[in-house]
Amino acid sequence: MGVRSKTRRLILIVLAVCFLAGLGTAGTLLYLHSSTRGLPYHDSFAMGKADEWRAFGGTWAVYEGGMRNDSDERGAKLMAGSAYWTNYVLEADIKLLGEDGDAGLVIRARDAEEGVDSYSGYYAGLRTRDNQLTLGLADHGWQEYEDKPIPHGVQAFQWYHLKLLAYGCDVVASATFPLQGGQTTTAVVQDRDCLKAGGIGLRSYSSGGVWRNVRVHAATAADLQTMLTGQSTREITTNQPFWNGTSIFGSGSLPSHVHPEPALAEAAVQPISSLRMVTSSRPVIATVRGVVALSSPALYVQDSTGGVGVVAESIPPLKVGDEVLVTGQVKVRDYSASLVHARVELLWTRTPVAPISVTAGQAATGSFAATFVEVEGIFTGASQTAQGTPVLNLAAGQQAFRALVENSRGGVLARKLRRGSQLRLRGVCVVDPAETHNLTPFVLLLPSADDVEVVAGPPWWNTRHAVISGFVVLLLAFVGHLIYSTVEKWRLKAVADERELLAHEMHDTLAQSFAGLGFQLQAIRNRIPINMPVVQEQLELACDLVRHSHVEARRQITMLRAESIESAGLGAPLESCARHMLEGGDVKVEALEEGDPRSMPLRIKDTLFRIGQEALANAVRHASPSRIRILACYSDRSVSLTIEDDGCGFEQRSDGKGFGVRGMQRRAATIGAIMAIATSPGQGTRVVVTAPLPRHGTLNIWTTLLWKRLRSRSIYE
Amino acid sequence: MNRPDKRATRILIVDDHPVIQAGLISMLATHPEVKVMGSAYSGEEALARMDEDMPDIVLLDLRMPGITGIDVLNAMHEKKASARAIVLTSFETDENIYRAIQAGAQGYLLKDTTQGEMLQAIAAVQAGRKHITGQVAARLAERMMRSSLSARELEILSMLAKGLTNKQVGNALAISENTVRNHVNSIFEKLEVADRTEAVTVAIQQGIIQVES
Repeated sequence: MGVRSKTRRLILIVLAVCFLAGLGTAGTLLYLHSSTRGLPYHDSFAMGKADEWRAFGGTWAVYEGGMRNDSDERGAKLMAGSAYWTNYVLEADIKLLGEDGDAGLVIRARDAEEGVDSYSGYYAGLRTRDNQLTLGLADHGWQEYEDKPIPHGVQAFQWYHLKLLAYGCDVVASATFPLQGGQTTTAVVQDRDCLKAGGIGLRSYSSGGVWRNVRVHAATAADLQTMLTGQSTREITTNQPFWNGTSIFGSGSLPSHVHPEPALAEAAVQPISSLRMVTSSRPVIATVRGVVALSSPALYVQDSTGGVGVVAESIPPLKVGDEVLVTGQVKVRDYSASLVHARVELLWTRTPVAPISVTAGQAATGSFAATFVEVEGIFTGASQTAQGTPVLNLAAGQQAFRALVENSRGGVLARKLRRGSQLRLRGVCVVDPAETHNLTPFVLLLPSADDVEVVAGPPWWNTRHAVISGFVVLLLAFVGHLIYSTVEKWRLKAVADERELLAHEMHDTLAQSFAGLGFQLQAIRNRIPINMPVVQEQLELACDLVRHSHVEARRQITMLRAESIESAGLGAPLESCARHMLEGGDVKVEALEEGDPRSMPLRIKDTLFRIGQEALANAVRHASPSRIRILACYSDRSVSLTIEDDGCGFEQRSDGKGFGVRGMQRRAATIGAIMAIATSPGQGTRVVVTAPLPRHGTLNIWTTLLWKRLRSRSIYE
Repeated sequence: MNRPDKRATRILIVDDHPVIQAGLISMLATHPEVKVMGSAYSGEEALARMDEDMPDIVLLDLRMPGITGIDVLNAMHEKKASARAIVLTSFETDENIYRAIQAGAQGYLLKDTTQGEMLQAIAAVQAGRKHITGQVAARLAERMMRSSLSARELEILSMLAKGLTNKQVGNALAISENTVRNHVNSIFEKLEVADRTEAVTVAIQQGIIQVES
């Protein structure tokens, strides 16, 4: 009863635990798959954080409260949000950084990969080429649904407010240009086989862009109606002054954006590498022309001869790859030069410079100061500057260096990287002590977290893994040894049990029958008349034969009884065995042991015991000795057993037959032992068996050896 | 040889092997100074027949199914049977010999013993003497020397019989509990028992200790 109720309670508890676990899992799944998890959402670019975003191409970095993509890459994406969001509105302020491209928002996005249209989702973007708001579906291919012209065109470096809504299978996009009257352009699409759910994304196509105030909230039918009737006009709010670049660069179309190259500057332009040669103590003004290698946190410009850092009071909105003309005062430091109090003029946009692949050693020389380079190194750890900028510490051979990553997504990157990983980094090499703080010969300023590429993970063979594997191997060896010895013990136990059974059987049948037969023969002999002497004599002989057989059977039974396994050594059991065989005669038996018998495997011990028994039986049966000596020697490498008697000895036959010698030799062969018999008539007999011990030893031996070694060392020291 | 004035010695054969029984009956039947009253195949049967046949001598095998020879000896001792027992066994362990003698066997013979020795033993035991065959006697002497309990062990054993724990024994004798445990283990070994209850039972059975009433 008690047991049953206990079992029932156990089952109930298990069921309850299963139920709770199932409930928990279901709850977690429901929560994770919820269509409103994390809504409403607002970006934290203003705080310099963008941990939740994942980049697919581009150079994404937070700069002045906005997420900025400097690259001209076609179809650079930054994705976030839950793949289970269904009906929601995504809105953001967007500024394009170049002509001839578009930038916008993605909703219901899934399966994003690097590539132009490598995602599925709805995209709405502002396009400069034809000044239109475009709305379409990307499903690893592009299908344009709606194009609506924007009144006053789409201009670079202007903030637009873009709003994209998906409700059911209705997708609505609207763009507002707040400056000129705040007119709203709306594009509507009803997609029959619409995408049902997905996350959000920022995307630019060859123009680059800046996004800020990215917000998401769940959409209702009312929201849809409001947008469709076009009543949603919202003033863009920003506490940042718009870059009034329109007056400088013109507006709208491509040619007007490019500043006419000043003819005067042409003559004064000098190669950047020459700036380092300036040694004069009075201020020198120089003009250089180059391509922007890095625009934030500091401006770096490079030409084919080298790079230079630029410090200017006001810098036009530049992106990586813009060709600029810089005039400023040359300031020369140990290995690098910079231009201060500079005036920067944008000439035209160009493709970004390709990084020069150098080794850390080359970068440390300073030859590549202020140049956009690509360096490989092993990640050794992350830290932070006083301003909170994530710093990656790296090493390449003996050369240590650091890399500064922009704050928004660099923190996540620094946490995610594993020590010992091999990284390939692209950034501007800076040797200026103001940045290096003389901790490392150079630092790399990385344009974005995406300029870190993991070439290879940390090597598997580190100290921890080695120690763990060592332990595992030891444990396995220990378990293996344990299993082996247990199985061996079982096997021997089974053999011993079988022998015991056999002995029992022989005792019950053979020995008893011999005894009964003996009595019966004696009875017959008693009844034979005295006048039949021949028969009497024959019966007497028969009686003797039966008695002899009985004695022999008893000896065999003694030998079959297992005694060797229980005791550690061979001496004691063999001695008692000899005494049993002698049955109290006046033969002296002495047993000696040398060494430690514990390291001997059971199998060897058992076999040696059987051989010893046989030798003792021979001595008792045939030699009629007055003394028997048993000597067992144990060493680390071998065990030897000697059975010696001072009996009559025997003539050794060349074929080694007789007196059970062959049986002994067969036994010896099974454990690789060598058996030697020294005897001659009248000289006694000596049997020596030497068995080698397995060389690899057991764990016990290892620990014993280790202990001995340690002890002997501590004694001598 | 045959003396008509003297009554033949009455013998009961106890052995579970029919070959032995038959052989013994045939052999002993040829001698008029002994008379086989009957034979028993088991200890139970032997005890039953003892009252019926009133034997002088019981030729007793030790190893039998059911009640063993030792048990029969103990039972005979208990009911103060008039018969004397000679153990007639095939090969046995030292311990069996020792325990058989302790249980009151007057003689001990091996089954390959000669007819002459057997008659000699019967005559000796009938006359009130003991007869233990040479080989067995030597081993018995050795066994008695080897593992009779020491004075300290006897002391501890008697305390165990009173139901004291190792700790209490240790306190009483002013020795550590570990030492007591060692002594107790050695007692178990010598008495060939597995636990303290059995040790006490065996010790009482064998008369090693007396129960105070």
